[in-house]
Amino acid sequence: MRAIDHHAWTNRWRDRHPAEKLAPAGGLLLLSLVAPPLTTGPLILASTTLVTVRGAGVPLRTLLQVLATPAAFLLAGVPFLAVSVDFANGFSLQLSSAGLHMALETTVRALAAVSCLAFLTLTTPLADLVPLLRRVGVPAGIIELILLVYRLIFLFAERALTGRQAQAARLGYTRLDRAIYSMGLLAGNLFQRALAQARRMEVGLAARGYTGELRVLRLEQTLSWWRLTASMVLIGLIGLAGNLLACGWL
Amino acid sequence: MSPPPLLAVRRLEYAYPGGIVALHGLDLTIERGRKLAILGPNGSGKTTLLLHLNGTLRPGGGEILLDGRAVAYDRRVLDQWRRRVGLVLQDPEDQLFAATVGQDVSFGPLNLGLSEAEARQRVGEALTALDIASLADRATHNLSFGQKKRAAIAGILAMRPEILVLDEPTAGLDPQGVNQLLEALQQLHEAGTTLVFSTHDVELAYGWADQVAVFHDGTVLAQGDPDAVLGDRALLRQAHLQPPLLLELAQLLEAGQGEPGWPQPRSREALLARLRERLRDRSA
Repeated sequence: MRAIDHHAWTNRWRDRHPAEKLAPAGGLLLLSLVAPPLTTGPLILASTTLVTVRGAGVPLRTLLQVLATPAAFLLAGVPFLAVSVDFANGFSLQLSSAGLHMALETTVRALAAVSCLAFLTLTTPLADLVPLLRRVGVPAGIIELILLVYRLIFLFAERALTGRQAQAARLGYTRLDRAIYSMGLLAGNLFQRALAQARRMEVGLAARGYTGELRVLRLEQTLSWWRLTASMVLIGLIGLAGNLLACGWL
Repeated sequence: MSPPPLLAVRRLEYAYPGGIVALHGLDLTIERGRKLAILGPNGSGKTTLLLHLNGTLRPGGGEILLDGRAVAYDRRVLDQWRRRVGLVLQDPEDQLFAATVGQDVSFGPLNLGLSEAEARQRVGEALTALDIASLADRATHNLSFGQKKRAAIAGILAMRPEILVLDEPTAGLDPQGVNQLLEALQQLHEAGTTLVFSTHDVELAYGWADQVAVFHDGTVLAQGDPDAVLGDRALLRQAHLQPPLLLELAQLLEAGQGEPGWPQPRSREALLARLRERLRDRSA
């Protein structure tokens, strides 16, 4: 999570308007779900990898690491699509070509879809995306909550980490029973600290004139219609190419 | 008659829920343009006092006077009060909430009802004053501790308070961080901001403040000129504090020299210069 966040804040496309990244990511995601997967999927995967690595300058290693987790889930689940269980005469497992085809399609489709999200999260910090939610009419209260949670996640993740290290330094994780006990203590401690933190933050915000609304300046990012249009055209071309390939016309 | 002090605390009493007495009969006067250090050991109630200075805590007894008038605790008065008295908490994590530094600093100005353009300008000013303009678009959670501390101060500074109250501003900073912070505060002081800060660092209070209040056991034992207050050994012993090394060395130097004909050295540099002078005199 820290690695994703780090690249989101520091990649070459950090200062581009979030819509220029959200729109192509969303467009490609949609395409990956509706277009013939075996031909369009690899095209999508290739283009998201290209823009993430060559365009935004995120290391390929990081991208692969991000994709590794969903890919592992995929590999664990997909084999069950390829086989079918038959109870008609006793119990038999059957491997059908239709099943294999479906498994392959699902794998490619899912990987392509995940790569779109990976592109988005690796190039755009959450803080940039949330204001877009306001545009589409999400209530201010919910947006404030998202941003506060985003800020506090890192605070508590760090406290959890240092707490765990401190416990480990006193051999709190050497045996399973002690590990469970330590983990419980840590969790309880974090809850208490979260409450105390909330109270102190209330004081801190009140000192700055907080009256119930967490209003801050919007980020200054100008939308490039040119880039937005170009990305949409590219998505159209990928979709077209995928369909033509699937029909054998190319 | 002289004008009333900017902010004054009279016979302040405060007990935490559960009956733990934190402050009793505390008097403190904050004059315009001062650099006032509130000096006391950890856990002596300094933070509790500071939380009274912007109306966060309500005293159980006594009164707080702003421009000579007792304050009230309704919304309108509190708003006005907090515009004038800016409080920076000790832990910057308690104050920073927004995703980027610039956005966080803009929170106070927008609460003052300023336009976005004005707020943007205030943010720029405050970040420049603390020498962190380059961090404006950085994520708050990726800052170092010293940077967070300065971002938190900038958030208050952008509201242009008359009095800046800082709780242990140098705690947790490395020497360079301390120097940078003091430089920024010195500039604010020169621009006319009244500064109040709590510390347990006697050397810092002696070297940097122009007035010191010694805090002990929920009350202020003495408030006044740093030389006079911090030269009083009996008083410091009572407050569990040690006299500043600079002052002790200067007094040693002066022993047998009669009345000091010069102001006490208040910095390492000044003391070292004085020492060199003395050594030269002796060898001559």
